[in-house]
Amino acid sequence: MQEKVEAQNILSMNSVEVLYDNVMLAIKGVSVQVPKGEMIALLGSNGAGKSTTLKAISGLLKAERGRISRGEITFQGTDITEALAQKRVEMGICHVIEGRRVFEHLTPDENLTAAAPRGMSRSTLNAEKEKIYGYFPRLAERKNSQAGYLSGGEQQMLAIGRALVTQPKLLMLDEPSLGLAPFLVEEIFGILQKINKDEGLSVLLVEQNALAALEIVSQGYLIENGRVVMHGTAEALKSNSDIQEFYLGGGETDFHNVKHYSRRKRWLS
Amino acid sequence: MDWVFLSELAINGALTGLLYSLFAIGLVLIYKASSVPNLAQGGLTMVGAYVVLALARDVGLPLWLAIPLAAVVMLGLGFGIERVALRRLAGRPVVMILMLTLGLDIFLRGTTLAIWGGTSRSMELGVSYDPLFLGDIFISRIHLVGAGVALALFVAFMLFFRTRTGIKLRAIADDYMASWSVGIAVERGVGLSWALASVVAVAAGVIWGEIQGVDQALSLLLLKGLTVAVLGGLDSILGAVIAGIILGVVENVGADFLDPLVGGGSRELIVAAVLILTVMIRPHGLFGRHDIERV
Ligand SMILES: Nc1ncnc2c1ncn2[C@@H]1O[C@H](COP(=O)(O)OP(=O)(O)OP(=O)(O)O)[C@@H](O)[C@H]1O
Ligand SMILES: [Mg+2]
Repeated sequence: MQEKVEAQNILSMNSVEVLYDNVMLAIKGVSVQVPKGEMIALLGSNGAGKSTTLKAISGLLKAERGRISRGEITFQGTDITEALAQKRVEMGICHVIEGRRVFEHLTPDENLTAAAPRGMSRSTLNAEKEKIYGYFPRLAERKNSQAGYLSGGEQQMLAIGRALVTQPKLLMLDEPSLGLAPFLVEEIFGILQKINKDEGLSVLLVEQNALAALEIVSQGYLIENGRVVMHGTAEALKSNSDIQEFYLGGGETDFHNVKHYSRRKRWLS
Repeated sequence: MDWVFLSELAINGALTGLLYSLFAIGLVLIYKASSVPNLAQGGLTMVGAYVVLALARDVGLPLWLAIPLAAVVMLGLGFGIERVALRRLAGRPVVMILMLTLGLDIFLRGTTLAIWGGTSRSMELGVSYDPLFLGDIFISRIHLVGAGVALALFVAFMLFFRTRTGIKLRAIADDYMASWSVGIAVERGVGLSWALASVVAVAAGVIWGEIQGVDQALSLLLLKGLTVAVLGGLDSILGAVIAGIILGVVENVGADFLDPLVGGGSRELIVAAVLILTVMIRPHGLFGRHDIERV
């Protein structure tokens, strides 16, 4: 039974602790499972530890003087806790980092080329590019302009497209909706959903915009203060009153005030 | 006004300027990948020249073989510098890397002094010193050859930066973190930029070694090379070429006007003025990349 569960999870993160600069404990025993082919959301407010969780999985922690001090991460059954970032990309984990970060002085087309894995043939690369331009027709239109001058939405599309060139099996996105108009968020999330359906790509989506995220994922995790405080199906989370109050902007706030304080305290402890 | 003489000054200035460009291209290659002006580029150029001499004189190889072999040796040295010294500094402040390159320059000068001593040796490329006349204008052959090498390298690098590897290098120059995130081998890319700059140093070392002899003074080319690189914008190869021509012409023509007035030595003043004014008035140089700011 245990084995069967393992086989279904493309990614399994168990009680991971991350230290920055050897002193700052940023996440404190986070466990997250991503079932193969599903879309999972990681929700939480500023400083909760969402980006740190993704960096632990992609191996980018090292670049920020962070390290995993406890716990383990397995990807498709292989322990990757200590693997180099580059190796993880080769294995099929790609992390679209916070804040878009396209290669500004390159054209969108060159941005895609830059991400080509070692040894990818020119014809495969061109086929990948065509597929990506198919998902994001706006990028195709502007493929030879300078990426730094694309609009925020186009840059986010490019950042996702660039990640897709690496042919990931697990795509992790760090707040792709940040600073984008609602219709653009909808467009980008729609495309993510389409890629997930068409190619069976597993997705781990970090969002503060819980409302939009819970519309497209099957399950969600809520992180507060470096710990997972809630985990459930998207439906369950959407109907949860805490989530409604803090993340979906709803709920009857008046007499819940006292109660939510105590609940919040429970998360923080 | 003697127009023939003035054009002679300008043309020879431009040729000398392209030799500065030859040196500056190495600086630009490293700046593009590490965002730091490599203060050891002069030292590398000097070592490049010494290695060619060692292979040609001490081992006895013909020059046509010694030069490419030296390029291979320097390629290895460039990769080695990244592997041994720079990799540890990843993520540290850029000023630390700058200090490291300064230390490296001193180290390289000391090493050549210990191995080959301080007496100047000649390169003996076999380029004729017979005057070459373009109409009435006298042109130095070795300068013409050097300018040709500079332009050839310029074209080669422009093409290189359109290849997949070249594009990855430019991506690294743009954003290390984003490069890591898509699996680009950032460290290897930085190593490659040092290796290429070391190969450029062989070309500059051979030409400048022929012109002024091979000794530790070759490393002082850094001052003019840096001025050219800064004027060109530090990260632009095209900028390095055009700025080299500009500095060469301004220096040569300017010195002819100023030297009688100040009694000689005005070349250094002109170079210093160009460097200082560029930094004050146009810090991005002529073709430097600005950080893109969208409104
Ligand atoms: N490079 C770093 N060095 C030291 N501390 C860090 C570093 N990066 C993050 N932290 C700390 O770790 C904690 C978690 O940060 P993280 O960036 O993971 O949060 P987040 O959930 O992504 O927040 P946001 O929504 O604001 O992006 C914070 O307290 C933050 O200050
Ligand atoms: Mg974050």
